[in-house]
Amino acid sequence: MPVSSSEKAAALSAVPLFAGITPESMMRLAEVAGEQDFPAGSFIVRQGQVGTGLYVILSGSVRVLRGAEELARLGPGDFFGELSVIDQQPRIASVQAETDARCLALASWDLLALLEGDTQLAQNMIRGLVARLRASGEHHHH
Amino acid sequence: MALSQQQLVDMLGGLSLFADLSRPQLEQVAHKMAEESYPAGQRILRQGFSGTGFYVILDGEVAIRIDGEERARLAKGDFFGEMSVLLGEPPVADVVALRQLHVLHLGGPELEGFLRDHPPVMFRMLKAVALRLRNASRWRS
Amino acid sequence: MAELAERPFPPGDYPVVVVGSGPGGLQASYFLRQLGVEHAVISADLGAGGMFRRFPFFQRLLSWTKPYAPVSRTERWYEWYDWNSLLAAEPHNRSIMPELMDGTSSFPSRPEMEANLVEFARRTALQVRYDCRWASTRRDGELFVLRTSDGEYRCRAAVFAVGVAQPWKPDTPGFDSAVHYADISPAEQYAGKRLFIVGKENSAFELATGLLPWAQRIVLASPRPAKLSVNSHSLAGVRARYIQPVEDEILGGGVFILNASISRVERMGGGFRVHCLRSEGGGELVVEADEVIAATGWTCPLADLADIGVTLFGRSMLPSMTNYWESATVPGIYFAGTIGQGAAGMKKYGLPANSGAVHGSRYNTRVMVHHLARTKFGIEPDRPSIPSDRVTDYLLEEATTAPELWNQKSYLARALSLDPAEGVRDDGIVPLADFVDMEGTAAVAIAVETDDSGDIHPAVYVRRAGRPAVETLLQSHPLHDFRGADNHARVAALLKEATGGAIR
Repeated sequence: MPVSSSEKAAALSAVPLFAGITPESMMRLAEVAGEQDFPAGSFIVRQGQVGTGLYVILSGSVRVLRGAEELARLGPGDFFGELSVIDQQPRIASVQAETDARCLALASWDLLALLEGDTQLAQNMIRGLVARLRASGEHHHH
Repeated sequence: MALSQQQLVDMLGGLSLFADLSRPQLEQVAHKMAEESYPAGQRILRQGFSGTGFYVILDGEVAIRIDGEERARLAKGDFFGEMSVLLGEPPVADVVALRQLHVLHLGGPELEGFLRDHPPVMFRMLKAVALRLRNASRWRS
Repeated sequence: MAELAERPFPPGDYPVVVVGSGPGGLQASYFLRQLGVEHAVISADLGAGGMFRRFPFFQRLLSWTKPYAPVSRTERWYEWYDWNSLLAAEPHNRSIMPELMDGTSSFPSRPEMEANLVEFARRTALQVRYDCRWASTRRDGELFVLRTSDGEYRCRAAVFAVGVAQPWKPDTPGFDSAVHYADISPAEQYAGKRLFIVGKENSAFELATGLLPWAQRIVLASPRPAKLSVNSHSLAGVRARYIQPVEDEILGGGVFILNASISRVERMGGGFRVHCLRSEGGGELVVEADEVIAATGWTCPLADLADIGVTLFGRSMLPSMTNYWESATVPGIYFAGTIGQGAAGMKKYGLPANSGAVHGSRYNTRVMVHHLARTKFGIEPDRPSIPSDRVTDYLLEEATTAPELWNQKSYLARALSLDPAEGVRDDGIVPLADFVDMEGTAAVAIAVETDDSGDIHPAVYVRRAGRPAVETLLQSHPLHDFRGADNHARVAALLKEATGGAIR
């Protein structure tokens, strides 16, 4: 069942990453974001793959895995995949749908174009990465 | 080391964080940030303390320590402090000068406006933080 | 030879030599004498006052002294209301500034400030060898040798209170033909002229304000926008009394304020063409002017100290120093007065302390001299005992009333040691940045701090034995009285925890 542009915009504006961006950016986001459904157990991205985009979870939950080790669980409103968008390096972890999940997918080139045009978005992105860095620093594995 | 204004601006242009800025923009950056000097052993960022700022190293070396244990070192051209400022939370690590340290300091409340005024610096910071995250190699795709 | 002998401190050996006779030099000498440390004071000037013998040109000082205040002038609390007098223990030597003000303003004029410092030196009978210019420095074993216009001085420790007083202009092509703020002519000589002032800090705006009635046109230029103290909610930035030119620009009154860097200054006919590169882009702008004035700041006149290893940094060539204002690289060399701003301290939220001004530096100098006396000459400070049931009250009283803490927020603190063996002792006023990083016996310090919202509140730093200090911020209060029950309970709890219940 296709999601309308305004429903997409509503879902996007609930995501902290997109808080405070310009209405133009929001409109553009809603236009270019495509929704994808992932049945429980399927892989959304795989470690080592070249990344092509960022994902925002609309519904369901996912597990972040390195090999067999589960690093985290994410739910509606969370995003993943942005690191490869920023530096075009392969994915450092896999993400598997735990339940049936619906995501919005944003292609790298669209996201980069938006980052260049909207400083608030870039700032939110840095903040998001920095928060993750801090959270990761608190794990004690090697 | 005391740099003339021109030397300071030249040096800033050579740091990767400011590599995309024009000369007048570099001069603006030099004017907006304060030059400070700290002796060896001085903490610049303190675990758990409020009011931290953003620092770029012009000369010298620092150690990043958590609970007394060294985790990493930073040197000329590196920056630190942005994490606490952007998250609005106190630092989780100490940053200690290992020898006489010469830095540029921007007060925390000014960082956001500064990044907005200089988008190329923001993108460079974004890439540097992404790299750090990748090296921390613990997080998702 | 007879003339040389009549002036105080002839060349020779002294335990300490103080260089400078502005607020820093005078204050340092006063405390050295109070502690019984023999020293010489030399100065290139012909009388006391330092920079206040010449500057500011047009306006009154930026620091206030209220002749009528809620407290008596001889009390410590009066220092809140008087930022210009030097410190002294004796009531008749305190708070001299208000005696000399004519009552028309709570900001002294330059001549009133100079008179204040001259009178302080006279009343306290401070000796200074005037007209003695320090020229060069070398080391001789453990001693420093200062060569002066009168001969050589040898000392174990030297205190440089020479101010940030040397005019500085950037090395931009053509700038040598620009006149520095320090060398401008009387205002009337700028009648009808088009002026180009390089700089947008207090001195540039002070000039512009003073020359508004005379100049035909004033352009102010520097790379970044002007920072105004009314916007930053602090004293950092251009002070309110100098911002008339900003309003003039808005009203279209012949003032233009540019964000631009200067690429070169060209002489043309009887005037100048200033080539500017605008910071926001838009290419080169050429501005014609009759006079170009560089309000581009000052450096420290530290002669050849760099040659004996004193590291300098920054545009102002400030010396790198420890938190006790001692050279970071040459122990035994100390700094008093406005140069003390080289010790940045914690600079929370990017806000500097008032170390560049008399009302901050006078406390720094007192702390520095006590430190010098203790570390170099073994003069131990008094450390009065504080009864354990008074500790919390004392800390909160200090936060509410201590001028040292209020004038030097997040920079100076009242410290108490909590060593169970000797009971609670008052360690006096200390540099906060030193206290929080030192590891030693259990101790507590209290400071007054502010943040980017302007909220003013105390901060308590508790140090357990062998660990660095931990910060706790306390509640602010609309009338800045921090002695309420909430704060009391918090501090008591912190102390109880730190001392295992010995203090509650």
